[in-house]
Amino acid sequence: MAAFAAILRKDLRLELRSGESTVALLAISLLILVVMVFALDASRARGAESAAGALWVALVFSGMLGATRALLAERDNNCIRGLLLSPIEPSTLYAAKLAAAFIFMAIAEIGSVILMVLFFNLNFDITLIRLAPILALGTLGFAALATLLAAISNRTRMGDLLLPILAVPIFVPALIAGVKASASALGGTPESAIAEWLKILIAFDVLFVTAGYLLFEYVVRED
Amino acid sequence: MAAPVVETHELGKTYGQHHVLRDLDLRLLPGRAIFIVGANGAGKSTLLRILAGLSAPTAGRALIFGLDSRRLGPRYRRRIGMLAHQSYLYPNLTARENLEFCAELYAISDPRGSAARWLERVGLERFAERRVRALSRGMEQRLAAARAMIADPGLLLLDEPFASLDSEAVQIIMSLIREAVARGASLVASAHVVPEVQDLEFEVFDLARATLTRRPPTRDSADAGRIARLRSLLGR
Amino acid sequence: MSSMVRKGLGYLSLALMFVAIFMVFDWVPTEAEQGIAQRIFYFHVPCAWVAFAAFGIVALAGILYLWLGERMWDDLGYAAAEIGMVFCTLVLLTGSLWAKPIWGVWWTWDSRLTTTFILWLMYGGYLLLRSSADDSPQVARFAAVVGIVAALDVPVVIVSVRLWRTIHPAVLITKTGEHGLEDPRMVVALLVSLAAFTIFFVWLLTLRFAQLRARTRLHRMGQEIALAEMRAGDR
Repeated sequence: MAAFAAILRKDLRLELRSGESTVALLAISLLILVVMVFALDASRARGAESAAGALWVALVFSGMLGATRALLAERDNNCIRGLLLSPIEPSTLYAAKLAAAFIFMAIAEIGSVILMVLFFNLNFDITLIRLAPILALGTLGFAALATLLAAISNRTRMGDLLLPILAVPIFVPALIAGVKASASALGGTPESAIAEWLKILIAFDVLFVTAGYLLFEYVVRED
Repeated sequence: MAAPVVETHELGKTYGQHHVLRDLDLRLLPGRAIFIVGANGAGKSTLLRILAGLSAPTAGRALIFGLDSRRLGPRYRRRIGMLAHQSYLYPNLTARENLEFCAELYAISDPRGSAARWLERVGLERFAERRVRALSRGMEQRLAAARAMIADPGLLLLDEPFASLDSEAVQIIMSLIREAVARGASLVASAHVVPEVQDLEFEVFDLARATLTRRPPTRDSADAGRIARLRSLLGR
Repeated sequence: MSSMVRKGLGYLSLALMFVAIFMVFDWVPTEAEQGIAQRIFYFHVPCAWVAFAAFGIVALAGILYLWLGERMWDDLGYAAAEIGMVFCTLVLLTGSLWAKPIWGVWWTWDSRLTTTFILWLMYGGYLLLRSSADDSPQVARFAAVVGIVAALDVPVVIVSVRLWRTIHPAVLITKTGEHGLEDPRMVVALLVSLAAFTIFFVWLLTLRFAQLRARTRLHRMGQEIALAEMRAGDR
């Protein structure tokens, strides 16, 4: 637990110092939302559904960046090897990197939600709070998956190009659930309609956090 | 007789069709030191990575503290200190932050105090608040040495510890090594040529053709090392 | 597996394939609602079954590889993934061919087609990963992890996609297959076809697996020769 906190604190300190990752994530989210507004023609599209869709596209693509960045910090001076040498379990490292990616993504999403309300002519009201658990679950699931897969992709010849190719298909169920639940939440559907989707998100999270925790050691190991 | 700290049996490592290491038998007792001398690309780093448990051998096995190197749990990894060409230091953290982080990873009871002590030992107390990216190569390597030894390891693995360092850094790192070995730590280090080391008894192994041969201990070996070192300094 | 058994499997699948083709084209009665187009069903379903089974083998081989570290399991996973990809592509193609006359479109986000398509994307990623890194233990580990993670995802995909389609009620009529097959001959034809495809798959799998094993062995022999040469050079 102490090691987990130490790694996470170190990553956050590095991020506070450079701000690179969060700024990059925010920029990507902003650009994706702008692209979506033009692609969807926001004036005619139904507000809640288009907004939810745009929000999740931003989540997926900024999330890819977030997971990559959290691992990238260990590339300089081969710091990752320093961590592998130290008396911490690879699963602890996974947990810390997952937490860092989650935090980076969460910051970008707060920005995305504000922009979404502005761009898609929604209101700043109670519905946004209903969005919070859905986004939190989706972010956790994506960070869990992307952290595991980014550790793979950044050690192949294709590099980070491989990450979306691996991660997006696997994320599809959570994406479906997240978009549907978010659209319902923003559209003011009763809570019960969202429950089914939340269950899928929870199942996805449990599955992939566990899988990542158990399998991470096999992807960071050296040859 | 004490149990060996490092013991390898017919150790081998292959990348594709290329044998980097083969038929390697090595024994290292507590408090002893060996230098592995070989040319660039001879496989010195690979051997050290295997002994550190980072890399799995493809033939034979390595026992570290009597345990298979592929199954070194946290308790055993804690007792290995590694210093390599890459410093494992975060460029955007200060010298002090790097050591404190490392002390936390190794669950040292007083990370702050121990970081401060080690900064002093490597003569970097004035640079404690300077980021690693702004340190010279020699200072960075001194800090890396402190990082490697902060948890008082029983086995020191040093991969070319003196390569391209200024004499001050060499002196400081050397004295740390001497202290550690005097304390009972074992040492495996690699080098291009037999280094000139005073007050440290060590054996020399040559790593060539992917395997180790022990150099018979002669009085001249230190001289030969010195001459070779002078030659390389003069660029011949 | 001995080459005799493998040959036997090959001939058996060939024979069964002919029987299945005969049944599908000549023996089975034409389905009332969909007409002649429904006959593609007897190839479509076995392909899907094989694709899913192959995916299961990829995941199982991945688990065994990580657990035991034997190269053999990696070879098995690779072979299954390649063949699975072919059959998965066939499912999508036959599904598309079937959809056009019945539903009037080449593609529809029907729950089963969608699930298969996602499966196909995952296979694609897996194979791309294998081709984007050199042949090493590291790639084998990466592939095993991706295979396992993808297989874990399949049940979640199925549930979510089904929910996704039912909440938006399907405008299109469901496939006849879902209502059960009205004529017993249809069931027989399907079973024969399933058997033919399964044996065909097992045959292909053993063939490719043996090939990969041979490659691994060849590689090891090369290593041993190099080692022997180095040892000889010592003297």
